[in-house]
Amino acid sequence: MTEFVFYTIAVGLCAFALLSVTVGDVFHSAVWLTFTLLSVAGVYFLLGAPFIGVIQVLVYVGGIMTLFIFAIKLTANIGDARIRQFTRQLWPGAVLAAVLLAFLLAVIRANAWSARALPPVQGPDLKEIGTELLTRYLLPFEFISLLLLAALVGAIVIGKVKK
Amino acid sequence: MTPFLMEMAWLVLKGVMALTFIAVSAMFLIWLERKVSARIQNRVGPMITGFHGALQSVADTVKLLLKENIVPTGADFWVWWLAPFFVAVPAIMVFVCMPFGPSAIVCDLNVGILFMCSVTSVSVLGIFMAGWGSSNKYSLLGGMRSAAQIISYEVPLLLSILVVVMEAGTLSMQGIVHAQEAGWFFLKPNLLVAFIIYIISATAEVNRVPFDIPEAESELVAGYHTEYSGMKFAMFFVAEYTNFFIIAGIAATLFLGGWLGPLAPSPVWFLLKAYGIIFFLMWVRWTLPRLRMDQMMSFAWKGLTPVALLNVLVTGWLLVIKG
Repeated sequence: MTEFVFYTIAVGLCAFALLSVTVGDVFHSAVWLTFTLLSVAGVYFLLGAPFIGVIQVLVYVGGIMTLFIFAIKLTANIGDARIRQFTRQLWPGAVLAAVLLAFLLAVIRANAWSARALPPVQGPDLKEIGTELLTRYLLPFEFISLLLLAALVGAIVIGKVKK
Repeated sequence: MTPFLMEMAWLVLKGVMALTFIAVSAMFLIWLERKVSARIQNRVGPMITGFHGALQSVADTVKLLLKENIVPTGADFWVWWLAPFFVAVPAIMVFVCMPFGPSAIVCDLNVGILFMCSVTSVSVLGIFMAGWGSSNKYSLLGGMRSAAQIISYEVPLLLSILVVVMEAGTLSMQGIVHAQEAGWFFLKPNLLVAFIIYIISATAEVNRVPFDIPEAESELVAGYHTEYSGMKFAMFFVAEYTNFFIIAGIAATLFLGGWLGPLAPSPVWFLLKAYGIIFFLMWVRWTLPRLRMDQMMSFAWKGLTPVALLNVLVTGWLLVIKG
């Protein structure tokens, strides 16, 4: 049953991801990307990590996709038929993706995956995640917030109308 | 029957129960809104169909089911077609974690309240897709306004929920209810502030007066669902009233003790509290005028958000002092 659900989600995920980079209309691309991100959340739920799955939906679909859509809407003439999405580097991109796939397959093949034999692990406790973030991983955590702040300030500087 | 099939049958049964509740509740709320608004405006409201118009919503549903589905010329068909699902499905999914009683819950996830918030955030996309796909400028404007408003008010909304989570020490909906056995949360001053912020921002989240500028009839026809007819329109309508019930249900659970209460069975207490909040919000809707767009945005960012942040800080201090 789990395998069936996994393969359904996986096939959907690949199809949505492909569609999101190949369709011509930018808004359609955003909609397909939403489906892709929701499928990834589905994989997290299937792996028994509901917290990560929920955060995936909240951050990526609720936050980032909404921002994407605002960006699309606020760009002048974006709905115009003349402005189509196109891929200039289709073949280099495809080759790069193929190399990555081969590398990942090699890594996957090289390891003996004994997950089936192991007893199911209790998912990380929410309290543990919080404690770890504010003790052991405090520096990366703060660094990410600094990075976000820098991005925010940068966006404001770029977006400011020059007088 | 194998245990697997039993489990599946039980899940399907729970799902059917939740869906039935959603449909009946939406129909009841539409009738209630018409009656309440009528009484506030010194009218009587629907009276002909059934006792005091009780069957009016049923008649309306049948009418909507039989209506033609009109696709506007120039619509972006698939985006237009998908939009109602993006709005209605999250509204239904939230009921997975809605606690009607100690055991009357579909699934008590340990990330319950977070799950509810993340699922509802998906519906912004549906609203925007409806506005974009209709190829109608009123729809697009309504969709834009709605999306801007929802993401702005989500900040104080989540911050006020955070205060409850800090106080309860859990994200599970049942856990939050159990944490209130000593006293309902709205009795504490910092949580009362959170309750008020929650109610204001939740009203904005469901686009109700005084925050209904996305569907202001006098300037936008009906906002993002202008171009929808028949069942598609009904889906938006049901989703709207389901979301209305959801915000009231969450408020009742987080601040008013959920299903806790003496004598009467727990689902009765839960519904009583939720419908009490719904009645209050209807009263607000038919009493206040609507705000302007800029007033609404500056109220969210300059008024509610700082107060909510300060409230989180104070709650943190109080928790540290208490140990």
